[in-house]
Amino acid sequence: MMRYIVRRLLIMIPLLLGLSLFVFVLIRLAPGDPTVFYLPPERAADPAIRLRVMTRLGLDQPLHIQYIRWLTSALQGDFGYAYGYGESVLKLIADHVPATVQLQLAALILALVVALPIGIISATRQYSLLDNSVTVFAFFGLSMPNFWFALMLMLLFAVRWDVLPAVGAGIGKPFLERIPYFVMPVVVLAFTYMAVYVRFMRSSMLENIRKDYVTTARAKGLRERSVLFGHALKNAILPVITIVGMSIPRLIGGSIIIESVFAWPGIGRLGYDAVLRRDYPTIMGLTILTAAFVMFVNLAVDILYSYADPRIVYTDKE
Amino acid sequence: MSQQAMTLAQKETQHVSETVRIWRMFRRNRLAVLGLIVATLICLVAIFAPVIAPYDYAEQNMRNTVSPPSSANWLGTDQWGRDILSRIIVGSRVSLSVGIVSVAILIIIGVAIGAIAGYNRHLDGPLMRFVDIMMSIPGFFLLLTIVALFGPSLLNTMLVIGLTSWMGTARLVRGQFLSLREKEFVEAARSVGVPDWRVITHHLLPNTMAVIIVQATLFMSQAILIESSLSYLGLGAQPPTPSWGGMLFQGRDYMRQAPWGTLFPGLAIFVTVMAFNLLGDGLRDALDPHLRGR
Repeated sequence: MMRYIVRRLLIMIPLLLGLSLFVFVLIRLAPGDPTVFYLPPERAADPAIRLRVMTRLGLDQPLHIQYIRWLTSALQGDFGYAYGYGESVLKLIADHVPATVQLQLAALILALVVALPIGIISATRQYSLLDNSVTVFAFFGLSMPNFWFALMLMLLFAVRWDVLPAVGAGIGKPFLERIPYFVMPVVVLAFTYMAVYVRFMRSSMLENIRKDYVTTARAKGLRERSVLFGHALKNAILPVITIVGMSIPRLIGGSIIIESVFAWPGIGRLGYDAVLRRDYPTIMGLTILTAAFVMFVNLAVDILYSYADPRIVYTDKE
Repeated sequence: MSQQAMTLAQKETQHVSETVRIWRMFRRNRLAVLGLIVATLICLVAIFAPVIAPYDYAEQNMRNTVSPPSSANWLGTDQWGRDILSRIIVGSRVSLSVGIVSVAILIIIGVAIGAIAGYNRHLDGPLMRFVDIMMSIPGFFLLLTIVALFGPSLLNTMLVIGLTSWMGTARLVRGQFLSLREKEFVEAARSVGVPDWRVITHHLLPNTMAVIIVQATLFMSQAILIESSLSYLGLGAQPPTPSWGGMLFQGRDYMRQAPWGTLFPGLAIFVTVMAFNLLGDGLRDALDPHLRGR
């Protein structure tokens, strides 16, 4: 197992290097330059001033020199300074991570708490009214554009009834006063998660409760609760772990569109602003750090898999 | 009847019965049939949009701005007095064309890379590492980056959605090829000297078609959602081209006075995505019984 983990960690190095090169070249290939966004309009029109700024930012150098410089600094933990913010990229990201983690974690927990029991009950009562309603609900969740759902909630709860704040995260306010800010974005994000989880939980549970080992458990005279939770659920939870694992990168990656709709000061919104301002260092920093996080989470999910299912044994050949 | 003619007739019957079996299977799923009907209607609306739309989608009437739904304007008007129903009808062309083109791109790339990786053991490793790199980038962020940097337009949106979404298909096709290439019929074809390209195109690909069709239908809804999200952020089709996401983006500022400006375009996205999701799900059940209920 240890050799497997080390091998996976080592593979991350060329993957991250490849990714950094890919994104670096991609964003530099785009026409235009960031000085248009970096300078006030009257100064941006002057080519001499723009050239000076380009030189100061090192953007006048050949592409490979720029990349080597960026890589050398990044390997020392320095991802450069964000254009227009006057702050280091790492600090900027660190400042925005808490808001995203709080929002995504709340949505993830709400989705799991609601979806898993519903998925299990739905599977045990296949084709009942509840089961059919769950199927329809899942299709709704998967088909509804979340930013539209967000706007509709905003229209009702913030514009019409004025019971919830429309935008912001209430940063700086005491904990209890911040809760109303979370309600709408959490519900919107959790709704999509729920639709996915409930579907997977239901189908995975359905597949398992039809298997021979469950029939055997029942034949032994075990109580239904014990059969479901002690036997079927243990196996049924595996695909759900994978799906939940796939949502975890969002904990720091955030949701660009929902954070934009609710003006939530998180990573998603930071990424959106960085892209619009052509803030190269922030785009690179966000991409590499998020990708590294995704890779670590994938590894953690694989390790968790072997604990959830002892039949899965990793060797260094895999 | 000669033996060859009989074999051809048998093949024909077998093919027809397989199609009938799939159709019967599909027909049993009422929600999938509903999805098919709605998706067909939406396609027809898109094709005949200029004929069906009651007004010119770009025609402004500053004396009739943000007016609520009425007999003259069934879904009301926007802040420039344009008829929302006409814009939704013409906007269906944007959504569907983005869906079709980006799905075509992702299927071509995904199938090509998946097939090569699944068939050629030497190229499998490098290609899958490339897929890993692409999959580790936060998808929507990459999409946004490319569209924003290279300029928002309908063409860029289609290209970028297709170019950043093929990885799942590549993995799926590779998986199918890996299992199929060990099967006896493939070994038999190879042993009689059938060239590799022919093994791929005549033996492996036809057996992967079910997965590809399902993937294409299900991704159609995803592509429509992604396009509308990009348009909502102001990075999709540019005005005056009406896109559903763009209408939501513009209607947001007038949400208090004219909720219909955000309600109806959103409903259009929702219904379209739902129709393709139901259709894709039904096709999956009918074409691949192993995946039923997933």
